[in-house]
Amino acid sequence: MEFRSFKEIEVYPTRDLSYDFLGIHFENPFILAAAPSTDNVDMVRRAFDMGWAGAILKTTSVEGTRVDLCYPMMSTFDHEGKKLFGMGNIDLISEHHIDKVEYNVRMLKKEFPEKMVAASIMAGRKEDWQSLVQRLEEAGADLIECSFSCPQGNIGEDPGKMLAQSVSATELTARWVKEATKKIPVSIKITPHVTDIVEVAKAVKRSGCDALTASNSIQALMGIDIRTFSPYPSLGGRSTYSGMTGPAIKPITLRTIAEIARNVDIPILGTGGASTWGDSVEFMSVGAGVVQFCTVVMHYGFRVIDDLKSGMSHYLQEMKFSSPVEIIGRALPNIVTHDDLPRRTIRSHIDEELCIACDLCVVACRDGGHMAIDQRPSRIPSVDHERCVGCGLCQHVCPVDGCISMQVVP
Amino acid sequence: MNVQQARIESERCLQCFDAPCTAACPTHIDVTKFIGMIRSGNILGAAEVVKTSNALANTCGSVCPQEIFCQSVCTRAQQDSPIQIRELHRFATQYERERGYSIPKVFPKKVGKVAVIGAGPSGLGCAYELAKFGYDVYVYDSGRPGGVPRNSIPSFRLADDELDLDTKFLSQFFALKRQTIDAKSFKNIVQSHGATFVAIGLGLDRSLGIPGENLKGVVPVLTFLEKAKAKPRSMKIGKKVVIVGGGNVSLDAAATAKRLGAESVILIYRRSEKEMRVWKSELEEARAQGVEIRFLTNPVKVVGKSRVTGIKCRNTRLSKKKDKTGRPIPVEVQGSDFVLEANAVIVAIGQKIKADWLGGIKRTSAGYIKVDDDFQTSLPGVFAGGDVIAGEGTVVQSVAHGKHAAQAIHEFLSAK
Ligand SMILES: Cc1cc2nc3c(=O)[nH]c(=O)nc-3n(C[C@H](O)[C@H](O)[C@H](O)COP(=O)(O)OP(=O)(O)OC[C@H]3O[C@@H](n4cnc5c(N)ncnc54)[C@H](O)[C@@H]3O)c2cc1C
Ligand SMILES: Cc1cc2nc3c(=O)[nH]c(=O)nc-3n(C[C@H](O)[C@H](O)[C@H](O)COP(=O)(O)O)c2cc1C
Ligand code: SF4
Repeated sequence: MEFRSFKEIEVYPTRDLSYDFLGIHFENPFILAAAPSTDNVDMVRRAFDMGWAGAILKTTSVEGTRVDLCYPMMSTFDHEGKKLFGMGNIDLISEHHIDKVEYNVRMLKKEFPEKMVAASIMAGRKEDWQSLVQRLEEAGADLIECSFSCPQGNIGEDPGKMLAQSVSATELTARWVKEATKKIPVSIKITPHVTDIVEVAKAVKRSGCDALTASNSIQALMGIDIRTFSPYPSLGGRSTYSGMTGPAIKPITLRTIAEIARNVDIPILGTGGASTWGDSVEFMSVGAGVVQFCTVVMHYGFRVIDDLKSGMSHYLQEMKFSSPVEIIGRALPNIVTHDDLPRRTIRSHIDEELCIACDLCVVACRDGGHMAIDQRPSRIPSVDHERCVGCGLCQHVCPVDGCISMQVVP
Repeated sequence: MNVQQARIESERCLQCFDAPCTAACPTHIDVTKFIGMIRSGNILGAAEVVKTSNALANTCGSVCPQEIFCQSVCTRAQQDSPIQIRELHRFATQYERERGYSIPKVFPKKVGKVAVIGAGPSGLGCAYELAKFGYDVYVYDSGRPGGVPRNSIPSFRLADDELDLDTKFLSQFFALKRQTIDAKSFKNIVQSHGATFVAIGLGLDRSLGIPGENLKGVVPVLTFLEKAKAKPRSMKIGKKVVIVGGGNVSLDAAATAKRLGAESVILIYRRSEKEMRVWKSELEEARAQGVEIRFLTNPVKVVGKSRVTGIKCRNTRLSKKKDKTGRPIPVEVQGSDFVLEANAVIVAIGQKIKADWLGGIKRTSAGYIKVDDDFQTSLPGVFAGGDVIAGEGTVVQSVAHGKHAAQAIHEFLSAK
């Protein structure tokens, strides 16, 4: 018997994940980053219907800015069977110029007044930056994000460099933008490719802008075909450096956000490598107020919002937090300098009950640690506490959860 | 499965879009969604997804024949092996059991009264869905809720407390009434409710129609399984047991007989292994228990004075002609008679509807209740689903009938 289509009725209540950030009401902490998923108004509509709290429309510029795209533009860094562990793109900003984006902002705000609709902009000259902001604010955008990390958005003093790689250019340009707004907040999207991220963040703060978006893709060479020597993505045998995004860059982003939050008092929108609700908690715990998503959506679709919301709800309940706001900055006090770390004697312990006798810890310690784990005829290895220094390598190569633990010697 | 095993298995899932597994599950559990949740560590969320779609989530986690549903169409099988979907489903519900339950929301205000007759998988599936629409639902059953899974599925395959978890969860959504429905009460119920869903299952064993069938020691399979489940201690079974049948139920009976201490258990089936309508896992389980299966064997007479002492059988061969089910028709081979010794003969050749009060309702040629695409019977406002319309099926299909019928009932009542 064939059944007709079925629309499931929700059985569990949707928990309230809403809060205010930057003076904007967010339904939940999950928004779409400026990227292909936000370049088409129908796609954004679908995302909003599915529960995303907001979207940053893909970066636009003034009419006349050349957007000279090349295809294919995507490539991937696969790791041990996982596709898109890192994703590379050689995309540029949106092909839609300001007229179209202005229209999209208007439409979306009309249809979804409760969603956060932001626009991302990029320009060269002061008057262009300012006219873009003014038009988008007028159209109803809730927030303006300025891409200071597009390689082509440079004002000329350092060709080929990104705006956010210059402290003085960042401050100057950010000030232009802020000056031109009436009420809405402005966030500057920076790059982690700088010697001192704190200096850049301070420059943004001085400019009077309201927030930072940290950060963006990581410049990368995605790989080389070892038979043809064509780099990826191959465009007739040639390629260029890509921006790498996705899970592979999460630790880099975490450090960038943490470093800013530890040193500069400024709200942060997190982006770069978040895929799950757990990643979002991590981003927020080091200082992000909301989290942006791009690669995971390009991989699996807008549907990931269901788990983001559900997972976050269960997490809040488990932690007895009343709102996602309570997560923001929670991990920061625990990030200290190397000098301030406790010095203790640590030794590795193997739970023989759990051990599956792969002996991966043996070889790791033998060739990469301190030759402190001995093989035994039973294949259940044993740690020599004289030689073990407690580095923790064995614990991380062990495939079994909880089998190897690092214990403090009193 | 432990947490790590579940995570590793969930990471193998490709997260297909518009996934075939979800379509293949009769209750359309959003499989990719719940597996994605296990992967992200949101296991309570995964349990909610499973329980939203399938009223008997814990029960199905134990007894659903995944090899014919979700898992049989898993895309990953084209690369290596299918995802162990039912094991992940079970993992999620078990985890919820340990970690505490999510509280369901309060459904909208009451919009009308619907009766459900039979608290088996189908009735419960329907009542759950009707409650979500906001109906006042009254579920009638002569016994404790659960139907065949409660009364007959052996406890070594389905622990009672698994089923209890489901029935306890469901009991908050409707009123359960312990009552055996007959012609008179049926009429009253139909008159006093906006719609009625009949989900009484089958319940009556078919008989062999051979001489000697009423000798002592010849037992219909449901009677046998029900008693074995309800009173396993006082249950006595002979040393030599012969079971007649070729379906899953006969295998359950065989494995149960073995567990009750029978020394030899022989299952006789008139066709060959290929034609057996059984789930591989059940067949393997029965064989592992030491059950002997004799194919191409037909019973002709039960022998004995007042008690059964044996069963006379005749070999068969498969003819080229096929029956309605598409399987070759077995023909007896003359002169091949032999007698199998037996202290007990269990007859497991299928069931039919037990109720004698369905008078006015039209039947199919096979004797089940006839329904249209909306599960409506020939009596206006009376719907039916589960085994009573389709013959022996599965728990999950029965739940799905109830669920889809509820939607049709909702449309029926909304149009009134
Ligand atoms: C031994 C056995 C093992 C099985 N194993 C599996 C398995 O492993 N996996 C699987 O998926 N399926 C299995 N099945 C099939 C599955 O159990 C059935 O398909 C399913 O239970 C049918 O559900 P139902 O709601 O239609 O009917 P039932 O489960 O038969 O429920 C009918 C209910 O109606 C009640 N009722 C009947 N008449 C009246 C009346 N006059 N008044 C009040 N109440 C009444 C009964 O008490 C019963 O509770 C098995 C079946 C059997 C017999
Ligand atoms: C194909 C592609 C196009 C992008 N285009 C833009 C853009 O126009 N403007 C911008 O600020 N960021 C752009 N980004 C960067 C994303 O907004 C986001 O910051 C980045 O992908 C890191 O997040 P993720 O790991 O969640 O993908 C783009 C990313 C991708 C993959
Ligand atoms: S993803 Fe879509 S647009 Fe891109 S190459 Fe494939 S089909 Fe074309």
